[in-house]
Amino acid sequence: MLDALSIDISNRLNTGILILDNNLNIIMWNRFLEVHANKKDKKIIGESIFTVFPELPKKWFERKVSSVIQLKTQSFCSWEQRHHLFELSHSRPITTDSNFMAQNCTFLPIEVEGEVERICVLIEDVTDVCHYQTQLNKALQELALSNRIDGLTQAFNRKHWEECLASEFSRACRHSYNLALVMLDLDKFKVLNDTFGHQGGDKALIDTAKVINDLLRMGDVFGRYGGEEFAVILPNTDLKGAEEVAERIRQTVAENTIEYQGQRINVTVSIGVAVINKQDLRYEDLISHADTALYQAKAKGRNRVCSAKEVIAA
Amino acid sequence: MSTNVLICDDSNLARKQVFRSLPESLSTNVQLAKDGAEALEILRSQKIDILFLDLTMPIIDGLGVLQALQDEGITLPVFVISADVQPEMQTKVMDLGAKAFLRKPVQLDILNEHLTTHGFL
Amino acid sequence: MNAFDLTEDQQDCLQELINVAMGQASDQLARYLDTFVYLKVPSIEQVKSEHFLDTLSQDLKATAVVSQGFFGYEGIRGEALLIYQPQDSNRLADLLGYEADELTFDEQIIDLSSILTTTFLNVFASQIDNQMSYSAPRLLSTSLGAVSQHLQQQSFNWDLALKVRISYQVTDYSFNCDMVLLIPEEAIINIKTVIDRILEEF
Repeated sequence: MLDALSIDISNRLNTGILILDNNLNIIMWNRFLEVHANKKDKKIIGESIFTVFPELPKKWFERKVSSVIQLKTQSFCSWEQRHHLFELSHSRPITTDSNFMAQNCTFLPIEVEGEVERICVLIEDVTDVCHYQTQLNKALQELALSNRIDGLTQAFNRKHWEECLASEFSRACRHSYNLALVMLDLDKFKVLNDTFGHQGGDKALIDTAKVINDLLRMGDVFGRYGGEEFAVILPNTDLKGAEEVAERIRQTVAENTIEYQGQRINVTVSIGVAVINKQDLRYEDLISHADTALYQAKAKGRNRVCSAKEVIAA
Repeated sequence: MSTNVLICDDSNLARKQVFRSLPESLSTNVQLAKDGAEALEILRSQKIDILFLDLTMPIIDGLGVLQALQDEGITLPVFVISADVQPEMQTKVMDLGAKAFLRKPVQLDILNEHLTTHGFL
Repeated sequence: MNAFDLTEDQQDCLQELINVAMGQASDQLARYLDTFVYLKVPSIEQVKSEHFLDTLSQDLKATAVVSQGFFGYEGIRGEALLIYQPQDSNRLADLLGYEADELTFDEQIIDLSSILTTTFLNVFASQIDNQMSYSAPRLLSTSLGAVSQHLQQQSFNWDLALKVRISYQVTDYSFNCDMVLLIPEEAIINIKTVIDRILEEF
């Protein structure tokens, strides 16, 4: 009685159940899959899963299943990593980016006397979730853009970054702390845009921002100052420390290769460094010093670091 | 004349588990050490007839003890009883002169088998 | 001192159970990944929810965090956080046995996390005559700020948790990750019951 009940329930579930043997042949599937896979004229039971669902990424799938068999443990695949594995039509006429159902798949080992004899694949329809999550992500992006984050590079936008500098500056003045500023500009960015297009330019900005961000400490404030200009506030840092950071940035950016549509892009940055000194009355003065040093770096041949003290001496 | 046994493991529970698994003939003169350093102190100053040794311990670990015994020329049968059962680890341990490698939690019949093989039963 | 504190004996027992589970899981993993897996002796501490972020602050420089829920019988459940600083994502794919371009970085991390979490917890569960089920692993974030933001936004429905930190290192690939098991207070009581049962045997 229990058997009949189980079969009945499995056929009413809004989840696909697929049972495979260790050679990935289909032993059984439930009504959900019958309906959504729409393969009425094909033979299913006993066939290899790749014959019935040729869209499956074969090597990936085999490796996935082998982990389940060998380690005797569940495995998952969510729509956020792969939109779907099986090409199944979805039940609702929602406008999504795909004609196929978004899926969360779970792979379960079925053990008989300690060895895995069968694999059960559960296929959950998460088309709704996918749709709403995508909407939400877009909305959050727009919100972030208008707030503090530069949507493209995820660095702080200029407005917020300057506010941070203003407050760090006044703190440094009040308590006589060290404060350093590093301003950097991508070299020959217009040429890059012309060569690889605006999207290539964007990728270069995103990647460069990321590698720079990874070098920074928790208290450092990284912002996008202009189109191809970035700036970093380094609290409690003296000139030597700031120069070290700047040089590390310069080197990391120069050594970083950006992949874009099968091509390799390399960029360099010119960097200006300045530290707060007693004559500075406002934070704009500090920016001014760093900016001047930055232009010196450009004038001296780019892909280098210049400090404000060198400028004054010259 | 009874056998001097030393059980070395940083876990109180594990030491008890090993002790409980020992046959009567080996249960009369048992000392316990909670890390490799303690064990070595005892091994250097007294004659121990058999050592049950864990691998993952602070201060000086199992491999450290085995190495030290080799370096200092202290020979005695060592039974390693460990949670880490990777083949590479087993090789390392046997290369350093251990007589047996048992996986945790220690099983009575396997322990007795090894004890018999090495003449303790 | 409160009702959730473990006695020295209970702590020792839990540590040993974890140790044994680690040993077996890493053996299974080593065979599956065909490399040597190095483990560090685990640390166990109690964490109050308001201090939770602080204890993880050293990890917030991490590149990625994957979370997976686990639940077994007798009310033993919790959340496993896998915290990574991987050096090279190409090698990760290699480690798992895929071609480098077959998987996105996110997928590699999630796959590996699921394997690490479930192999360990399966063995741990069998030590205490239990069996675990798991929720799908989720990548919390691949950026520092977002992880801390996410954690700050959680309204923790627990006041106290047990944090068990286990370090996995895969030597061939110079790759590290930490597994933090968060076990909420009700589940701690249930674990103590199980531990006491084991201690009674001795």
